[in-house]
Amino acid sequence: MDGTLVARIAETELESVVAGLGEHGARFADLFGTPEDGGVTGRLVYGLDDEQRYLVVETPLADRGHPPISDLEPAAFVEECELFEQVGIRPSGDRPLNRILMPPHAEHAFPLLGGGSRSAVPRELHAPHHVRGEAFEFPFGPVRVAGWESLYMGLVTTGEEVLDLYLFHWHKHRGVERRLQGLQPERGLFLVERTDGLSAVALSLAYCRAIEVAGGVEPPRPAASTRIVALELERIYNHAQSVALLCQTTGLSVGQAQAEIALEQLLRVNLAAFGHRYLFGVAALGGVRRGPEADAIRRLLPAAVDELRRAVQALLRTNSHVDRLEACGTVPGETARRLGLVGPVARASAIDLDARRDHPWPGWHEAAPEVAVRDGGDALARMEVMVAEVEEAQRLVLEQLPAAGAGTVDIPRGPGTGLGWAESPRGETLAYVSLDEGGRLARVRLRPAPVRNWRAFDDAARARNVFTDIPIIEASFWQTVAGFAR
Amino acid sequence: MLWFLRGLRKGVVTTRYPRERDAWTDGLPSPPAFRSDLLTPTLAGRLVDACHSGALRLEGDELVLDLGSCGGCGDCVRLGGEAVYRSGEFELASRDREALVKRIPLGGAG
Amino acid sequence: MNDELRLAGELRERIDGLFGRSLHIRTFDSGSCAVCESELRLLSSPYYDLHRLGLFFTPAPRHADLLLVTGAAVRAADAALRKTLEAIPEPRLVVAVGACALGGVFEEDELVHGRVDDVVPVDVYIPGCPPSPLALLHGLLVATGRLEEKVQALSFDLRREAVA
Repeated sequence: MDGTLVARIAETELESVVAGLGEHGARFADLFGTPEDGGVTGRLVYGLDDEQRYLVVETPLADRGHPPISDLEPAAFVEECELFEQVGIRPSGDRPLNRILMPPHAEHAFPLLGGGSRSAVPRELHAPHHVRGEAFEFPFGPVRVAGWESLYMGLVTTGEEVLDLYLFHWHKHRGVERRLQGLQPERGLFLVERTDGLSAVALSLAYCRAIEVAGGVEPPRPAASTRIVALELERIYNHAQSVALLCQTTGLSVGQAQAEIALEQLLRVNLAAFGHRYLFGVAALGGVRRGPEADAIRRLLPAAVDELRRAVQALLRTNSHVDRLEACGTVPGETARRLGLVGPVARASAIDLDARRDHPWPGWHEAAPEVAVRDGGDALARMEVMVAEVEEAQRLVLEQLPAAGAGTVDIPRGPGTGLGWAESPRGETLAYVSLDEGGRLARVRLRPAPVRNWRAFDDAARARNVFTDIPIIEASFWQTVAGFAR
Repeated sequence: MLWFLRGLRKGVVTTRYPRERDAWTDGLPSPPAFRSDLLTPTLAGRLVDACHSGALRLEGDELVLDLGSCGGCGDCVRLGGEAVYRSGEFELASRDREALVKRIPLGGAG
Repeated sequence: MNDELRLAGELRERIDGLFGRSLHIRTFDSGSCAVCESELRLLSSPYYDLHRLGLFFTPAPRHADLLLVTGAAVRAADAALRKTLEAIPEPRLVVAVGACALGGVFEEDELVHGRVDDVVPVDVYIPGCPPSPLALLHGLLVATGRLEEKVQALSFDLRREAVA
């Protein structure tokens, strides 16, 4: 499977393997189950970032057949809960599992991927909290401010201070991984693009890479450059969105307007470059559907980025804005590492991790990006990381343009497995596919960055913030509910 | 003050829609339009198979286009050669869901 | 039957008259990919400025005249969607936005309706994936009776148009 290592172990070895990998500095990246061969196969994905490789550990899993993985690897907690909902596998012991994807009253749909083991359904739980003094709990959402995704927040507060916060994302769970089962890969691509549309390029490219790896092919060189162009354009407009949303939450309407002007210009760059404001329809299996309109990009992109740059410069000189961001929603570096965060959220907390540099695609070797890292861990640091990334992204786009073109390579149709990845605007995005004899999708695992990053949100909200800070923290995190709930 | 000056310098960027249509909108994704005289049953079948959004289906001797389901991805246009074009239409709102379902008679042999 | 038609026409005129001035919009995400939301947010940006057309977003359903729904109608959001609609006083309009909401992309299954009008009655349908802010403006103006629909007259059959 390309440069990715695969190790098969027995379930009895799982505990010691997870412990050992943790001790050796391997980074836990994903855990998922697949109903196959009459049982369930668990796969743990680790980033061996120093070696620029991924490791997939495969093990058969039985319900209650192993101790909780998240006891050894806290970053695995959300995935362990998902594992239960998707294939009905629980760890041994009494560790309570949270509802992650499966809404209440959907027990008839359990396990979500079918097969697996039908056992007790997860109870409706949230992260346990200890309420001191006169705290009260109130629900917020899922309906929120105009144009913000549906998301339920349970807020525990004494009135101002946030004591605890828990999130329910399942209002948007569309069961994409299940829908993909049995589809031809081309049809799957259409659905994958529309799973987390603001990361359509990243997620669809991770998926395409997984299929290409399964088929043992690489895209043609011009297509590889086009993929980079599209991925970086996606990064730029998403970061512009974050700036606009930050201004909305700090009440700086003029700043918001300026950032939105830049955002609109960037979306028109996308339209001129690839025929879609959100870059749908660029990725293709084996390459790209089309090359970019290079002249339009050269003509339009610098002005749009300049618009954003000047808005940001003015923002960083505006005390009322900066004061709201400083020390707001701080995620300490140790928390970021322990929870396995990715992307700008992690990089703002001193985690030097970027899949473009650490796990380069074909074509990335010549385009090693400069990775922006800050150590403040607060909303301001996250904004600074995104701003630096915009500049670097523009440089990469212009650098790759001369080589960028259309084209695909044929992928032999047949059984296989593959792991693909991309650095989306929100961080490392993984996709794993398993194809059956007819080349159809037997299992697709999609792990967009928000699956990793939302878990830090309650920590960030709790750190000496008032609840009016929560929208600011959310805008600075700039994750998507769609990418988590998928 | 800083923001006020910046805002003034930018001028008015607001679209005049619906009074005027901005030129850049010509590039927006749009549903397909067909040359029904070139739309053979075989081609129509291939277009239906290629549509990932469920916007195309065959009913008797008609190709049914559901504008509501269409994502404007253009796969059918790429596949259809002379028989399928970008319609360029994006003002598609309707009070009647059925009005979004268009029927194209199949023509041509094969 | 004629009485019904007359009353429907009068209601239509009353709605058009009421909404002809300002219109307050409550949005609802029933499971979108988040891109329709992005285009919706841009309606209040300087390039589109929905305020100049008398359109406003409101967080409070009680102040709203129109419910704008995106997404494939995930069943887990049904209760919230119905409650939101109920909280909007009559006269009110429901507008479904985007291919997911109109029945494309996601077929019906145990988790998802696949179309918004399976959950709440819809007055206006706006196609697109996503519909651009201009398509959204067009749809909102159609909903308020300020623009005529175009799509009924379009045939999408170039041959027939050439002959006609």
